[in-house]
Amino acid sequence: MQLFWQDLVNGILVGGIFALVALGFSLVWGIMNIINLAHGSFVMLGAYLSYVLFSTWHVDPFLSIPIGFVVLFVFGYCIQRFVINFVVRAPILTTFLLTFGLSLLIVNFALLVFHGDVKGITTQYSGSNFSIGDVTVAWVKLWTLIVALVITALMQLWLTRSKTGRAIRAMAMDVDAAQLSGVRVAHLYAIVFGLGAGLAGAAGVLISLSYSLQPSMGDPFVITAFVVCVLGGLGSVQGALLGGLIFGVLEAFGSQYIGTGLQDAVALVVLLIVLIVRPRGLLGKAAA
Amino acid sequence: VALGGITGNANALRVTAGILIALAFVPLLHSGYYENLGRSVLMFATLSLGWNIIGGYAGYVSFGNVVFFGLGSYVTAVLWQHWHQQSILLAIVCAMAVGVSFALVLGIPILRLRGHYFGIATLGIALATQEIVSNVDWLGAGSGLTVRPVDAYSTYYYAMWIVCAASMLATYLIARSKLGYAFVAIRENEEAAAVLGVDPTRYKVIAWAISAAMAAAAGAVFAGANGFMDPPTAFALDNNVFPIVMTILGGVGTVAGPLVGALILTTINETLWSHFPQIHTLFFGAVIVVVVVFLPRGLLWLLNTRGGWKGIAGSLGAYRV
Repeated sequence: MQLFWQDLVNGILVGGIFALVALGFSLVWGIMNIINLAHGSFVMLGAYLSYVLFSTWHVDPFLSIPIGFVVLFVFGYCIQRFVINFVVRAPILTTFLLTFGLSLLIVNFALLVFHGDVKGITTQYSGSNFSIGDVTVAWVKLWTLIVALVITALMQLWLTRSKTGRAIRAMAMDVDAAQLSGVRVAHLYAIVFGLGAGLAGAAGVLISLSYSLQPSMGDPFVITAFVVCVLGGLGSVQGALLGGLIFGVLEAFGSQYIGTGLQDAVALVVLLIVLIVRPRGLLGKAAA
Repeated sequence: VALGGITGNANALRVTAGILIALAFVPLLHSGYYENLGRSVLMFATLSLGWNIIGGYAGYVSFGNVVFFGLGSYVTAVLWQHWHQQSILLAIVCAMAVGVSFALVLGIPILRLRGHYFGIATLGIALATQEIVSNVDWLGAGSGLTVRPVDAYSTYYYAMWIVCAASMLATYLIARSKLGYAFVAIRENEEAAAVLGVDPTRYKVIAWAISAAMAAAAGAVFAGANGFMDPPTAFALDNNVFPIVMTILGGVGTVAGPLVGALILTTINETLWSHFPQIHTLFFGAVIVVVVVFLPRGLLWLLNTRGGWKGIAGSLGAYRV
């Protein structure tokens, strides 16, 4: 029973990161209909930013979170405004291919700058943990989860309460009608893509605390984000959160009870079942 | 996106058929490098043609066609290693049978899904299959199986050529048949197609099965030539993504497009690899970005534009907001 609770806790802790990575991916996909394959490379850039700040100026990674968000936001805004915007109304495959090219560019550029060797961040609090009964919880992972939850909540508030957030949701419903109503579509598209990149960057900073760093480290997160989005329902903030936590727990249980090598297979089989039984995701709305 | 009818631009098709025939003579150069390059082109062309049936004609974007390639290559490995049946022809036939059965069994539930959700389901199938194969000892688990080539090396080249030519001919014949029109009807408007008597699920499963047969055949030949098969080789991410990229570059939903795309991108990739190994992937990424931004409708579309450079320049930014 102790193992069960430990796995559950570990799964939820990891699920917070999955949710944060998936949130940005889900926004860009749900609002702009772009499957952003470069999302993982934004996560990687965030992690390396945190690494550089930490190893050069000893900036605590938790303080790097807003820096990672802002830097990646600006980067994402420029990519959307000056590159993707040229083909943003093309069929989804075109932008899919474009972001694949962008991710190759970014990852290999990082490989030139940072080289391929594995890097890591070790802070004074890296190894510290506490116990509740038999269950051990690492402080870093708990704070990572809390920060991820706070960012997700802020995102949801901003999207539903602010004027820009409402304009963004209007674009998701009907981009032409939004444009006719005076929404600056090109600018707002760039804001949404920037937000997606910013959230990936913030997630990358958090990830740098508990994962090792490599230029290709972001790729698995794209696939995770894919799955989490579908589990929770596309373009929904609560969906990304729920999907992330479920996916984290599934992976933890999968590796414990079925075999370490099969943890992803378990999660993916569950995904297939969810898709077949409930094709719009757990919290997804019916097709427009 | 009509590129001169359901089979694509007629001139492009003639030129491409010529290129395919020319590729049959590559082994006569007696150069291992060109033979490998040619076989890569043919392999990627076959994978692209397979993807084009489901993704291009039926409009259902699959992110997991590599699963059929991987299964096909494992069929060869098992036949040769475990059962000592070292015939490339038998391997191709068995691989196609396994690929088609797999597509039929999984296609019936997942092809009820629409659009992106189908894409994710296929990606899930590919990743899950790779993990399962990596854990089956009989299939060599993570360390793989040896596939000792028995025939002369060029045999595999010619086998790949035949698989590719057959796939292209099949695409041409399917596109011109009732089947092809049913696929395109589903792509353009599934509800309208259903109202007119096209059973969408049935035709989508057929499209996926044909697509699977092509990819599995390519995998079977690849395994024979490669001499070794492990999960990362059989289910390589490149073999999943490149065919999509190549088809889009050449022209989606045309007969000639997949081969044109495969020829150009495989050659660029190989040349960059041999001259700039450090930064070849960086260049490859840049090539994709430039092509997509300036030629979002594929290369073959250029042949159909009227008004020369002015027409092309005018169409730039057609998809801007």
